[in-house]
Amino acid sequence: MMRILVQLSAVFVKEVRQTVQDKRVVALLTMVPIVQVLLFGYAIDFDVDRVPTAIVDLDDTPESREVLQGVLADGTLASIGRLPSIPAAEAALESSEAAVVLIVPEGFARAHARREPARLQVLVDGSDPTRSSVAAGAVNGFVASRLSALATAGPRIEVRSRLFFNPALSTPVYMVPGIAGMLLLLVTTVVTAMGLAREREVGTLEQIRVTPLPSSVLMVGKVTPYILIGLVDVSAALGVGAWLFGVPIRGSLLLFYAVTAAYLLTTVGIGLLISTLTNSQQQAYIGAFMFMLPAMLLSGTMTPVHSMPGWLQPLTYVNPLRYYTECVRAILLKGATAGDLWVQILALVVIGLLVITTATRRFHAGAH
Amino acid sequence: MTVFLRRAAAMAHKETLHISRDAWTLYVGLVLPLVLLVLLGFGVSFDLDHMPLQVVDLDHSPESRALIEDFTAAGEFVLAGSLASGDEAAQAFAAKQSVAVLTIPEGYARALARSEVATVGLLLDGSDGQSAQQAVTRADALARIASLRSTGRAVVPPLAAATWTRFNPAGRSALFLVPGISAYVLALVAVLLTALSVAREWERGSMEQLFCTPVRRGEIIVGKLVPYLCMGIVQVLLVLAAGAWVFGVPARGDLFTLGLASLLFMLGMLGQGVLISIITRNQMVATQASTMTSMLPSMLLSGFIFPVDNMPLLLQGISHLVPARYYIDILRGVLLKGNGLSESLFELAMLVAFASLMMGLSLARFRRKLA
Repeated sequence: MMRILVQLSAVFVKEVRQTVQDKRVVALLTMVPIVQVLLFGYAIDFDVDRVPTAIVDLDDTPESREVLQGVLADGTLASIGRLPSIPAAEAALESSEAAVVLIVPEGFARAHARREPARLQVLVDGSDPTRSSVAAGAVNGFVASRLSALATAGPRIEVRSRLFFNPALSTPVYMVPGIAGMLLLLVTTVVTAMGLAREREVGTLEQIRVTPLPSSVLMVGKVTPYILIGLVDVSAALGVGAWLFGVPIRGSLLLFYAVTAAYLLTTVGIGLLISTLTNSQQQAYIGAFMFMLPAMLLSGTMTPVHSMPGWLQPLTYVNPLRYYTECVRAILLKGATAGDLWVQILALVVIGLLVITTATRRFHAGAH
Repeated sequence: MTVFLRRAAAMAHKETLHISRDAWTLYVGLVLPLVLLVLLGFGVSFDLDHMPLQVVDLDHSPESRALIEDFTAAGEFVLAGSLASGDEAAQAFAAKQSVAVLTIPEGYARALARSEVATVGLLLDGSDGQSAQQAVTRADALARIASLRSTGRAVVPPLAAATWTRFNPAGRSALFLVPGISAYVLALVAVLLTALSVAREWERGSMEQLFCTPVRRGEIIVGKLVPYLCMGIVQVLLVLAAGAWVFGVPARGDLFTLGLASLLFMLGMLGQGVLISIITRNQMVATQASTMTSMLPSMLLSGFIFPVDNMPLLLQGISHLVPARYYIDILRGVLLKGNGLSESLFELAMLVAFASLMMGLSLARFRRKLA
């Protein structure tokens, strides 16, 4: 027992020294996560607003101006100015200067005065479907509000919405927990995979193999520093999230770190497994990337799992990032306890153990 | 000149052998673009549907059942059972049973019969923000339709809006994402593979050996880049062909502009990869540096998935320095809007500027490193 501990700490110290030796690696391992949280936090905003809108007012009456003002009032559409004609508006759409064109045809005020339906015309650039549906929704919402203002006499159904956990529906509050899992994957899986591949490439792995170290001890000693780095990174991400983006911490931090440790076991395990399948750092990086990209897309961070097509959903069940994202969102936002999350935690532990034993086996077999 | 070509060709031949003997490089070059296309094209749809909805029906009337029917008919919401009261909602959300709970109070049918306002509640799980957002919008629209139906009389609309959606009338995400995938794959492969391949020569010491041969610096760079340039061309063709075939992405504009833009973008990316590897000389550092300076910006700040107009001004400013932004603009313009050379001049000029900057810096750095 004593001997294993000595061996473990020896490998651990060697690995830490090797990592710390290159100051740039240290800087990157700590900086990349923070930059990532900032970038993701500020860049991703699913509340589409300020859609650039060109205006063609062919009627040019007080009525037409009033309606245009009303459509623009809630800020979803932002005017980039008036254009003289419909062809000019189409050109603006083609050059991406405008994504929406609001056209008030001639005779708008006259139709209004005669109590006939007065028509607004809307041209939408559909190349970005999210934006175009939000823009169309804004116009239709305004039209409908005019309609219901008229129909106050009849019965009406009103929806009163109440948001749990994230009342302001701020995007970073639910995105940052997902980002934490992604950046841990980016940092730990790549670094572990490349670290071992590097030893193989440089030839030091052969030297280690001649020492009396059992391969399991080597594996554990090698991954421990990266798990620690991961824990530091996730703390930094959580700090930035809470401080800058107001991400609440409603559950137990202890549970959060326990789940993170279980998740890190899977990410470094996958890194090790990849490194036993590859011969060079370049291959290891490619291998890590081939895993990471699908894992991120199928995690439920970018789009919820229940909206994915049925044949893709089973793939998310073997994705550790999916379970981790669910756990972190639940712990931070909903204050969930270990009892609520036992399925996810169990899944993480099972995947982690499975991956690490496979990697150790393969590594061992590769020695002969 | 012929000597230059011969030596560069020899370097290119050496690099091609490296690539072709390494199945992993071929995977990332040829399989990854298709995997991305399938996952993003089918998996990532921002038009959310199948949102699990639970209901609390305290009214138990034909009207309340009709409202639930309205909510689940279009496929945006899927009925995931019912709850006894709204107090159980938080628990249901914690267990991930649903993302929204519709509560219909007692007296709902009576209020409608009396022509009063009937208020129903919608409780939402804000931790799944995308679904919550969509659910609010949809619920409002559904309630409006249900109101009109219960009014039972035709109202002359005072205002009507006719909407035409240009370029992508069906609103399919794949059409929007394919240009971005092409840019992202090029950014990934060109920057990363070249950075790693040059950094590896430094790390293993074979760069020193190359310097002892009569091959010149410029020839080393050109020879290193040509195979990756060819790989990039194959990738663009692959993504566009698969996009056209599987998702029906049109090519309405000028294909010459598209080819020119792709070539310029690739040159810039390859130059960036070489520059990173010359500065870092270490594969591990090179990967992290490429992630930071190329892959993340190409994904987040290029308008690939998230519109740039929506970002804070500082990020919008930075996005002007991301070549992928211009490349994606050109691709979308050519593929979806039928644009040609004249509409893309500014973007092309930016790509030329970026490529010359990267290539120039690489060559300058490379010379100095040796002296």
